[in-house]
Amino acid sequence: MSGRGGRGGRGGRGGRGPLTNGRRAVAQNSVPWAMDGDIVLDGKPSELFPPYDVPKAPLLSRKEEKQVSYFLLFREQCQDSPLYTQARNWTQSSGTTARTYGQDQLNKRYGQMSKATVDPFTAVPTYSHRFKKVPRTLPDLGSRPFAKDFFPPELHATLDGDDEHSSGNGPVAKRRRVGPKTLGLSNITSYKTAEELFLPDAQQLGVGAGAGAASMDKALQFIDTIEKQNGDEEAILSGEDDDDWVKGNGEDDEDGNAEEDDQYEDESGDDYNAEAYFDGNQDDEDYDEGGDDGGDYF
Amino acid sequence: MMLVTKPVAELCALLIDELHGELPSRIFATLLSKGRSTLPQLSQYTSMTLRQLRHGVAVLLQHNLLFYHLDPGTEFAFYEANAEHAYNLVRTGKILEMIDTSFGAPAKDVMQSLLLSGQTRISDLVAAYQDKIEQATKAGGIVGDEDDFGAETNGVNGDSHPAKNTGPQVKSTAHLNSIICRLVEAEVIDVVHPKTFESSHDVLKTVEKEAMDKHFPAGIKGNKAKIELQERIAEGLRKVRDECKSLKRKLEQNGSAAKRRKLFTGVGMTNGTYEEDIDPALDPKQVIRINYEKCLVDLRNRRLVQFATDIFGETTAYVYGVLLKLLTKDLPRCRSDPAMDVGEDKDDDDEKGRRSVTTDQILDNLKTSVDLSLGIGKAEKRQISSAAAEKVELYPPKKKVLIAEAEVDGEASPDEDEDDSDSSEESDYDSDYKAPTTNGVNGTHGTKVKFDESAAPKERRLDRPTQLRQHLLLLSESRQHFVRHCGPNEWTVDFVPLINALREAELDSVIERTSGRQGLRLVRILRAKGKLDEKALPNVALMRKPELQQKMLEMQTAGFVHVQEVPRDLKADVKKSFFLWFCDVDRSLNRLLDTSYKTMLHCMQVLEALRQKERDVLETTKRTDVRGREKDTMRKEYYERYSRFLECERKLFAQVMRLDDFVSVLRDF
Repeated sequence: MSGRGGRGGRGGRGGRGPLTNGRRAVAQNSVPWAMDGDIVLDGKPSELFPPYDVPKAPLLSRKEEKQVSYFLLFREQCQDSPLYTQARNWTQSSGTTARTYGQDQLNKRYGQMSKATVDPFTAVPTYSHRFKKVPRTLPDLGSRPFAKDFFPPELHATLDGDDEHSSGNGPVAKRRRVGPKTLGLSNITSYKTAEELFLPDAQQLGVGAGAGAASMDKALQFIDTIEKQNGDEEAILSGEDDDDWVKGNGEDDEDGNAEEDDQYEDESGDDYNAEAYFDGNQDDEDYDEGGDDGGDYF
Repeated sequence: MMLVTKPVAELCALLIDELHGELPSRIFATLLSKGRSTLPQLSQYTSMTLRQLRHGVAVLLQHNLLFYHLDPGTEFAFYEANAEHAYNLVRTGKILEMIDTSFGAPAKDVMQSLLLSGQTRISDLVAAYQDKIEQATKAGGIVGDEDDFGAETNGVNGDSHPAKNTGPQVKSTAHLNSIICRLVEAEVIDVVHPKTFESSHDVLKTVEKEAMDKHFPAGIKGNKAKIELQERIAEGLRKVRDECKSLKRKLEQNGSAAKRRKLFTGVGMTNGTYEEDIDPALDPKQVIRINYEKCLVDLRNRRLVQFATDIFGETTAYVYGVLLKLLTKDLPRCRSDPAMDVGEDKDDDDEKGRRSVTTDQILDNLKTSVDLSLGIGKAEKRQISSAAAEKVELYPPKKKVLIAEAEVDGEASPDEDEDDSDSSEESDYDSDYKAPTTNGVNGTHGTKVKFDESAAPKERRLDRPTQLRQHLLLLSESRQHFVRHCGPNEWTVDFVPLINALREAELDSVIERTSGRQGLRLVRILRAKGKLDEKALPNVALMRKPELQQKMLEMQTAGFVHVQEVPRDLKADVKKSFFLWFCDVDRSLNRLLDTSYKTMLHCMQVLEALRQKERDVLETTKRTDVRGREKDTMRKEYYERYSRFLECERKLFAQVMRLDDFVSVLRDF
């Protein structure tokens, strides 16, 4: 570029301006508005998200539906099998597609559970932790039989489930084998499809029929009636209607509890999950409603 | 065979992660990138402990995802990734569906268990099923006996039923035995032998060494000896390859194999009577696994039937399906291996020639409920040149079909565009065949027979064999050469040119989707004319120059057409040199293949990102008290998020599977 500019300067093609300005002169003559005086420049910034015709895949045919269902069912069974391992640490890896340089960084992607990586918001042991499945970091090989002749000898101890840290074939390792090993067949026989999930709400509540669902229903009805009675929010906020306040307080106590329980169980199974508490509730209508009519929260 | 590029490697690792977990996936990815290595080496690469690695490698080996090689006397084995099997994981859904339609739900159940547990000893599998059956009968006793009958009929329809009905899918160990026998005979299950885990390279090495030691201890001298060595090696390789068919051979030795098969093909699994006593007991010590190669052959058959459906219509495609099924019954793989099948041509020449089907055989295997008069037109005798129609081609065509196909024909492309339309549902030639309500979709393409609607209705009443012949002739006359009439009343299929035609049809539909009809037209012109100068093209294509240039550039960036610069003189002045447009089908297909891998990978990554986004919901659903009762226990918003996620997941996997359809056409068939 500079070479060309220099040549231009020597040739004297540049109009006014000093000798070294040849390049600029050339550019001045060839810009669009220099060549075409009538041009109207469109100074608007280009649209950030111009309309784009997103190609849509055709709907699944019946056969494809079947294939996908079979695959998902198979995956579900696989993840249930004793050989499946998963110890993903979401908090640490901020995206698996991040570029990595070298093995060290790559290894960091796979989270290791240590005290340093514990999430302080969810790590406090609570009751609902009982329901949490502990992810398996190593496959449970000792629980099922293998055709050992097709494995290299270095793996034989591992296949028996005798591969302990000490790597000694002591009595500790032997103890694990209890009874005959059997190949467990998966008991999972269905995989939830989206259609199954999109059932009408009425049916959902009817099927639920549990105490929790019923009380939830009652609570919602109650909230409705209160709202009708009071007409506007200010009445509640000023606390004029004492009767209602007291009633609301009493009722809301249980319902509030039930709601809280539900909420905690739903979100992450923690008593105090601050992140979800603030994030999750901003778009949470149920909670807002409860807050509005139940003056007891103030 | 399968080129492992970066997207493929990542895709395989993600698939393993999806199905078998993180630990195996990490090891597999490392093995793919670093090549064959021992455990200490792996430990160095991944900085995992040896114990972790041993567990992970054991899982991978169990699922046949690794090769290993152990030199005698050494401590550590070398492990090598088996990328092909890892890729095949994505076909699981398809294979299961195929088994379901052609062998029935119980067989699918067995297949699924086998896929789930990897290679399995028959005795272990039997024991597992026995456990399950016992549990089911116990549970059945509590629930009530009247359920049994209902479960039996449900088992046929598929397995999307609550857990109550699961047990009776496989009713007894004898039933299991007969299922395994059938699957072994169909070759979709084969036997694991020690050489299974040697990579093809290692097998070649050992066979080569054996042949050298045995036959040429003094070394090779001359061309003749070289050729002989080649033959010996091919023979040895074939011997190794056939080892996994030992179980099938044993079954066939029983003599009753053909009879048993005959009994079973018609019966299906719909009624409860199984001829269990006839099946010989299998050796419980044998270790069995899925044979993906044969599964691919069956998948190819289905794809070809769909292709035929697109072009001819239901009935002809059904006939074609029956023909393919008969023809490929003993075909072990889609493509013959050049290293192994060198000598085979010479040895078994007559056997190869026998790979054809007679009209009578097809007729015997057709369902009587199928109305063969549908889908063929009517024409008067004098309008048909029977000599041309009945021409017998003894030998496969020599010239490439790709060139023959280049005749610009605007009519043929729309057929392929509606790949995903409803008609594909009925194309399963095994079970759910439905007679089409309309006559053949378009029977007139490129055939020499000209149909006349006003022909006398009397002529429609042809007898069944003649109608069948009409269908077969229709197939053999098509541009794609679905069938070759290789002898009087004998039919065969030349798969290589046919698959090439299929590939080109796929390519054409992709071009049309991306660059429109104009683009496709230009590509076809180029195919017909060869290389065309930039200046000559507007005249040939009858298009204005700027439009044309824009289109061509668009297609060049997409990789459908290519340009070659030919300088006129030594100075290579750009203004003076020629620019020749041309299109190279193979290059375009390779590029498409690569793009499809990338798209598949991308789908999986999107899924991963979605999971991370919805991780609080997903963690909840994994809890033991929520699982299975998501609807009752979760709050509405959460529940909706969850179901939305599930829907996305389904769509993404469906997209991956569709892409895999494409990949298998381009690469494996």
